Amino acid sequence: MLRPRHLALLALLAAPASAAVVDYQLDPIASTVAFETDFGPDLITGTIPLELADLSLDFDNVANCTVEVALDVTGAKASFPFAAQALKGPKVLDAKAHPRMTFASTSVRRAGDAADVTGNLTIRGVTRPVTLKAQLFRPQGSAAGDFSHLTVKLTGRVNRSDFGATGWADMVGDEVRIIITAHIDAKG
Amino acid sequence: MGLRNGPESFGLVSRLFHWLMAILVLSLIALGLRLSSMEPGLSNLWLYGLHKTLGLTALGLVLLRILWHLISPPPGPMATGWERLFIKAWHWTLYALMIATPIAGWAGSSASGIDTLYAETFVVPPLVEADETSEFVWFILHEIFAKTLLGMVIIHMLAALRRGMAGDGTLTRMLRGKA
Repeated sequence: MLRPRHLALLALLAAPASAAVVDYQLDPIASTVAFETDFGPDLITGTIPLELADLSLDFDNVANCTVEVALDVTGAKASFPFAAQALKGPKVLDAKAHPRMTFASTSVRRAGDAADVTGNLTIRGVTRPVTLKAQLFRPQGSAAGDFSHLTVKLTGRVNRSDFGATGWADMVGDEVRIIITAHIDAKG
Repeated sequence: MGLRNGPESFGLVSRLFHWLMAILVLSLIALGLRLSSMEPGLSNLWLYGLHKTLGLTALGLVLLRILWHLISPPPGPMATGWERLFIKAWHWTLYALMIATPIAGWAGSSASGIDTLYAETFVVPPLVEADETSEFVWFILHEIFAKTLLGMVIIHMLAALRRGMAGDGTLTRMLRGKA
C-alpha cells in the first residue's frame, strides 16, 4: 500500500514548534481507500475512490486536527466481479440510494506515534461513531521539517451490520477492515 | 431408425432430449444441494456459475423439447385406462417442474441484485427487480420445485425399471427407440 518513499513515519511528538494549523488538499488519484472482509476461508478485498478529503493538521496541538472525507460508493471495486456488484447493490452499500460515504472527525487524540481519530462515519445514510488510527508519513528524502507533502494512513474496522449493510451475512464477514492511504499536499 | 417419433416408438431426437435432460436434471439437483450446504469461498464460487449455466441450458432444452414434441408428437404411455392418464399427468408435471425450477432459480438470482451469467460470459437479463423478500420467496420456490422434481424423477425411474423388468418395452423403447 505505502510506497517506500513514504515510509518515514512522522513522530508527531517531535514535530517542530513552528507550524500552526495547515490545510491540505487531497491527491485523489494517488490515494486509496482499501477494505477487506472475510469470505469463507478467503478474503474479499477492494477499493472505493476518494471523492474529497479536507484535512487541517496542527502539528503543535493534535487535538486541533480535523479530517473530513467523502467516498464515491458508485465507483467501488472488489477483487472479483460478483463482489463489486454485491457491494454496491441494495443489500450492502445501496450505491443508488446512497452514493456517498462520509467521515467527519469529532476528536483527535495522540496515541504514541499515531493518533486516534474519532468521528462520524455515514454509510447507507446511517451515522455511527468510529475511531480510526492515523499515522502520518513524509516522503523519504524530504527535509525533516518539510510537511508540504504527506501521506496519511488511516486504519480501522467497522461492523457493516451497524449500518444496515447486512447482505450475504451467511457468506461474508460482518467486520470490514479499512485502510485509507491519502496523499495530501499543503494548500497555498 | 428415424429422428422423428412414431405412434409407438421414440425417435432419436426425443431420446437424446430425454437422456441429456436426465443427466442435467440429476447433476443440477446434486450440485444445488451441494451449493446450499457448502461454505462459499473463492475456490468454489465458480460452482454457482456452473449451476446457473447448466440450469439455463436445461430450461432451453426443455423448451426445445416441447417444441419438438409439437412437431413430432411422442408415443403415449404403454398403459391403459386410468393408469395411462395418471402417467400422462405425471409426465406433464415433470415438464412443468423442469420449466418452473430454473425460472424460479433465475428469478431468485435476479432478485439478489447480482448479474446472472451464462457460461461465465453472457449477462442474462434479470427476470425480476433486486429485492430481498422476492429473492427469499423465489429461492424457497426453487428449492420446493427442485425437491419435488427429484422425488418425482426417482419414482419415474423406479416405475420405468419395474416396467422394464416386467418386459413391457417401456424402458427399451426409450433406449433403442422401439419396444
